[in-house]
Amino acid sequence: MPPEEQDLPPELQPDYSEDGVDLSLVRWMLSLTPAERLQVLEQHSANLEEMRERNGAS
Amino acid sequence: MAQAKFLEILRQLRESGADFVIVGGLAGVLNGAPIHTPDLDIVHSRDAANVARLLTVLESLDAVFRIQPERRIKPNASYLSGPGHLNLITRFGPLDVLGSIGRGLTYQDLIPHSAEQDIGDGIRVRVLDLETLISLKEDLGTEKDRAILPLLRRTLEEQRRRERPVC
Repeated sequence: MPPEEQDLPPELQPDYSEDGVDLSLVRWMLSLTPAERLQVLEQHSANLEEMRERNGAS
Repeated sequence: MAQAKFLEILRQLRESGADFVIVGGLAGVLNGAPIHTPDLDIVHSRDAANVARLLTVLESLDAVFRIQPERRIKPNASYLSGPGHLNLITRFGPLDVLGSIGRGLTYQDLIPHSAEQDIGDGIRVRVLDLETLISLKEDLGTEKDRAILPLLRRTLEEQRRRERPVC
């Protein structure tokens, strides 16, 4: 476990699969409805686009 | 490039009455995988009536081939009737319209491996299940597909764990 995570109580420590997948992110997505998952994706796309525009990308 | 508005594309596709299954990255997202995808992939029914419905809605979405968008080449009935992949750009973002997927799987082949989901605003769409999506990506075996497999597999495991009855 990396040093920055050693001080956390067990219930707050990151939960990764053996192949490095953040399982807390998987569980969070599964807790959402399909409509909410679509909103997350669209919001993510909007954020990326905004960053691209701020960086002057065409 | 404008932000992709998947809900708007899907709303118009549903309102047209076209038959299709959502596949690719968006199928992963709708099934709960924490991944990002820039486009919407669908496999459509290639029967003549459905191709006509798709042509109408693609016209209203201003869909053109995105390889050379400046030439404004529109999809036609012949393209939509074949097994190939049409990589389009619409006014709401990229849309890939696929006549078949993987080893020649058609819309009819995918129906038993998909389920309807409510994606908001009363819109219900058919989405490929995670098992089949994983299997297709394993078959394709490209670097891009392999990169996403751990996330899809762990999502499927977690999904199954949640569905298991508590003893």
